[in-house]
Amino acid sequence: MPDQQVMEETVAEHSVRPSDLPAPPKDAIRIVQACSRPGVDSRDLAHLVANDPVLTAELLRISNSAYFGLVSQVKSVSRAVTVLGNRALRNLMLCLSMRDALRSDAIPGFNIDVYWEDALRRAVSARMLAELASLDPEECFTAGLLQDFGLLVLLFINPEQVEHWDRLAASTPGDRRDIEIDLFHSTHDEVGLTLANSWDLPQDLAFAMGYHHDGPPEETDSQTRMLCKVATCADWMASVYRCADKRVAIQQVRALLAENFDASPEHSDYLLQQVAESVAEAATAMGMRVGEQQTFDQVLREANLRLAEENLSYQELTWRLEQALGERDRYAAELNRELELAREVQKSLLPDAGTKLAGITGLNLSAKAVSGDFFDYYRVGENKMAFCLADVSGKGMNAALLMAKTASLFRCLGKGIHDPGKLLAMINREIFETSVRGMFVTMLAGVVDQASGEVILASAGHLPAVHMGCAALIAEYPAEAPPLGISPDSIFPNNTFELQGGCLYLYTDGLLEARMEDGSRLERDGLIRVLKEHASILLDDRPLAITDSVVGTDRVLEDDLTLMIIEGTK
Amino acid sequence: MTFPVEDRQGFSVVLLNGEIDLNNSPDARKVILNNLKKKHHVMVDLSDVAYIDSSGVASLVEGFQYARTNDLEFGLVGVSEAAMSVLRLARLDQVFTIYASLDERLEDGG
Repeated sequence: MPDQQVMEETVAEHSVRPSDLPAPPKDAIRIVQACSRPGVDSRDLAHLVANDPVLTAELLRISNSAYFGLVSQVKSVSRAVTVLGNRALRNLMLCLSMRDALRSDAIPGFNIDVYWEDALRRAVSARMLAELASLDPEECFTAGLLQDFGLLVLLFINPEQVEHWDRLAASTPGDRRDIEIDLFHSTHDEVGLTLANSWDLPQDLAFAMGYHHDGPPEETDSQTRMLCKVATCADWMASVYRCADKRVAIQQVRALLAENFDASPEHSDYLLQQVAESVAEAATAMGMRVGEQQTFDQVLREANLRLAEENLSYQELTWRLEQALGERDRYAAELNRELELAREVQKSLLPDAGTKLAGITGLNLSAKAVSGDFFDYYRVGENKMAFCLADVSGKGMNAALLMAKTASLFRCLGKGIHDPGKLLAMINREIFETSVRGMFVTMLAGVVDQASGEVILASAGHLPAVHMGCAALIAEYPAEAPPLGISPDSIFPNNTFELQGGCLYLYTDGLLEARMEDGSRLERDGLIRVLKEHASILLDDRPLAITDSVVGTDRVLEDDLTLMIIEGTK
Repeated sequence: MTFPVEDRQGFSVVLLNGEIDLNNSPDARKVILNNLKKKHHVMVDLSDVAYIDSSGVASLVEGFQYARTNDLEFGLVGVSEAAMSVLRLARLDQVFTIYASLDERLEDGG
């Protein structure tokens, strides 16, 4: 049994408070708790049950049902208590009390029977796994029946979300929790654990309710741990009959049963077949209503796993495959055309030979069709040039789009704002207002006076700009403010310095993290070494010479790589 | 891969480990955001992070932004030297609330 302290420590403050929960059915819970007391007298238990005529009738019906198959006819409560034993009585009472915890019309617009039919599938699945898990079948049945009760509670607390039931029902167990978080800001397993504690349910069943997705805490005893595994498998077995993607569900059941119980795929399929056949019988025993059940064969056909039995000819299969491949190629060609257009638009945002200015040069190599890096420069007066180099977080199309936006802002706003720090602050506010998914931009922006060699430089979280003399490092200018798009009020200080006939190198992490021939990354010290080695090469040829020396000429890049050099007057 | 989460003293502590790059930063993002969407206060433990690239940093930034707009607490605890050097270089140490450990946050009282 899980230890009480572990139990308390593992219950976090979740978004569903105990006061939100439906009230526990007190009489049944009292019997459940009495059953768990060591040394309790069976006459006292019988007396507690007999006090409630509805529970008495239910107990006798279940005790005599074909599904639970007791050896002899049971005609009295005291006989039922004796034959069943405390633990089985406890489990039955739990099932009945949970079934009756919410009236059938408790959630407006929702037919609770649909939920219980699904719960019954989990219960019969878990009961079938009991033998493989060396656990008590009735205990497993109870865990299976109760494990997703939290979902019913979530719908009870948030009846406006009932309209999403079909989406919840059609999803696989893993995906369903993601949908729950979006709809309810909580998940059924968390709520199940909260409810189990609030109602003071037995700890092993509470753990099965709370830990059939993420697994129980490390300190949990092996029997309870196994019960959680059974609940996990039962969840997927039931979903085979409910979710939209049956192929995925069947494959997951096979994988889980192989991993946990060494079951063969044939054995898994046999158990799945039994689920459909047992649900109606279990429903009769539990006094629940279920609709007509789909057979496993029908499920298999739906999952399209029996292609060979569909009497498709080899020629027809080949034809279908050719059609599918043709369609794939058409989509790929269309996508490539789109990418090519995107690449052209991106290239138009970078300076080209037509806009070449003396004393400044740059190179951009992208790891994918489109890049998240860019650089730019333009005249802002007779002797002055504005320049920038930036790197958008992430790769691919979303980074490329943010790159295009940032490049446009630099061009538009930079025409009127010649103070790099103020320009970055302005671009930062614009990007912040529309930034999504945590994307941000690291950027260096500056103005160089080519007559005096004075540079004013500001950095938004970008790697340090490197100021090199003829053959030695003069200074580095690390960022003093965070990247663009994270905080609206960031201030970007300016650094002012003289180029003194040296060069200023701006680069992105694609250069620092590029892997050299020996597999190691270039890193900062390697960069300084490479810059020294290439210091005498003509400015316009230098970026390509530097990148070739680092990543080779075949250029298999892990990340976009951009390098820009600003030369002081000699 | 899945990153473990521990409930401690009213916080969901997300334990990131290993190299957080383009391959597994979507998993990091998912676990951080799912806990925030559940209205949990989140602390991300970076003590076992050997390397983090900009996509990993973006997962942290997204968590920070979601928490800020939804009035939740979000912080980093036990940041490894490898992760800290990346955060310092990008001046993100000015952005994130960083604690040496969860205990320090608890003593600090927010």
